[in-house]
Amino acid sequence: MTRRVLLAAAVVLPAVAGVIAAVALTLAQVRTQAVITLSVTAIVALAGLLASALVGLVVAAIVARGRRDAELTAVRAAGEREGSENERAAHRRFLARLDHELKNPVTAIRATIAADPQTADGARGSLAVIDGQATRLAHLVGELRKLADLETRALDLELVDLESIVAESVAGAAGLPDAASRLTMTVTRVPWPVPPVRVDPDLLGVAIDNLLSNALKFGDGPVEVRLREDAGWAVVEVGDAGRGIPSDDVAHVFDELARARNARDVTGSGIGLSLVRTIARRHGGDVELRSREAEGTVVMLRLPTAGR
Amino acid sequence: MTAATRPALLLVDDDAVITDGLGSFLERSGYAVRVAADGRAALEAVAERRPDIIVCDVIMPHVDGREFVRRIRADGDWTPVILLTQVGESYERSAALDEGADDYLGKPFDPHELLSRIRAVLRRSVPGQRPLSASDRLRAGDLVFERTARRVSLAGAEVLLTPKAVTLLDYLMTHPDETLPRERLLAALWGFEFATSTRAVDHRIAELRRALGDDAAEPRYIETVQSIGYRFRGPVVAG
Repeated sequence: MTRRVLLAAAVVLPAVAGVIAAVALTLAQVRTQAVITLSVTAIVALAGLLASALVGLVVAAIVARGRRDAELTAVRAAGEREGSENERAAHRRFLARLDHELKNPVTAIRATIAADPQTADGARGSLAVIDGQATRLAHLVGELRKLADLETRALDLELVDLESIVAESVAGAAGLPDAASRLTMTVTRVPWPVPPVRVDPDLLGVAIDNLLSNALKFGDGPVEVRLREDAGWAVVEVGDAGRGIPSDDVAHVFDELARARNARDVTGSGIGLSLVRTIARRHGGDVELRSREAEGTVVMLRLPTAGR
Repeated sequence: MTAATRPALLLVDDDAVITDGLGSFLERSGYAVRVAADGRAALEAVAERRPDIIVCDVIMPHVDGREFVRRIRADGDWTPVILLTQVGESYERSAALDEGADDYLGKPFDPHELLSRIRAVLRRSVPGQRPLSASDRLRAGDLVFERTARRVSLAGAEVLLTPKAVTLLDYLMTHPDETLPRERLLAALWGFEFATSTRAVDHRIAELRRALGDDAAEPRYIETVQSIGYRFRGPVVAG
């Protein structure tokens, strides 16, 4: 701010000094005339010089403003990044506390039920319900906390062939009831194969397992798994002909605990897709979802290939 | 069971709802239970009369669970200890943080799971002898595992393993001749079960078998327990 005032003063000061001197000369009734003769050549040269100086000043002002804007944008972006990181960290701390505070009551509930003479050979009736629901409650908070931990825990990266990870997940999912005949997997090899990826194979397996389990449980039609390369990215696509997601729910499906309106009759915690997204992003990739209600859903998991 | 034959168990937790509920469950399951409200009280209880086994929470005021284990071990007390840990804490991290608890269980847990861990630890432990979990060097035949350095050698030749395989080997070798379900090994590897499958465990077992030249059909070290998990063939000795 001060700098701007000083600059303005430097620009205006000569003009002010000139005006003051003119007023003083008028008051003193100085009538001396100065006659300056200049050749047209000199006038043209001077006009050019003046124009250059003016253009230079304007350009300098624009450049300065641009630089200032860029600095401002950078500072703002850094601030936003830091803010959202702080927010995530606070979220993690909150979940850790909640998880911690829930653990003892739930352990106590389970131990008290187990100590009851009626449950000598396993809890039954209302005690079994209490035991089951207490466990479920703790499990849910535990899952949220694990999800938050996953954002910061170290990855064990290995250079792997994505096809083997996907094939194992598909083989595992084919073991679910009535799943084998619905699942197909295609791998693009022409004109070039999918390059290797540097990933934590265990975590990536968890992500793909989740996609397959979702695709299978929300319908009984075919589920297609496609692995392909796309401009330096490895893409795993899981498409299903299931019930789809209502269009106004699609934007929120990756949120923690979010479940689409038409998903309530199917068991699940609303953690799976958040987990997939966290795993994708930790690997420098991302996940996208397209869906049409009553037609089906396709999820695309993108990972940078090792050469990228 | 008479009081004389009931194993003496010291239960340490600062939360009374835990010691009440768990205490009466363990009593009913055949243990003579004493309760201490924190690590300091537990140290006094141990000095007064040494129990057969200690079940101890980690987070407590005054002297916490880890400090408690460190102090009794520093006194040459090898009473078996099961620590009740936090979610998100892997076996590797737990084992690195304290000096020799015999097992770890994350809260909340199924009380019957605690019971089976207590039995396994009691079966494994030899009174007055340093447990495997408190030993820096473990040996099973030609296989030598230096736990602090995380170095593995077979008949004198160094064996190269991924960090996760080393963690799994650590868990297997400190729990010899015990059937270890895949889920438990997964929890040991990751600190918690995220997974929809236990493939990750099978992969690390395959890596270990490859590196150790162990034949799955006729294993010297790692046996497959049909549809349950794995078992490390003992004996494993310290030093």
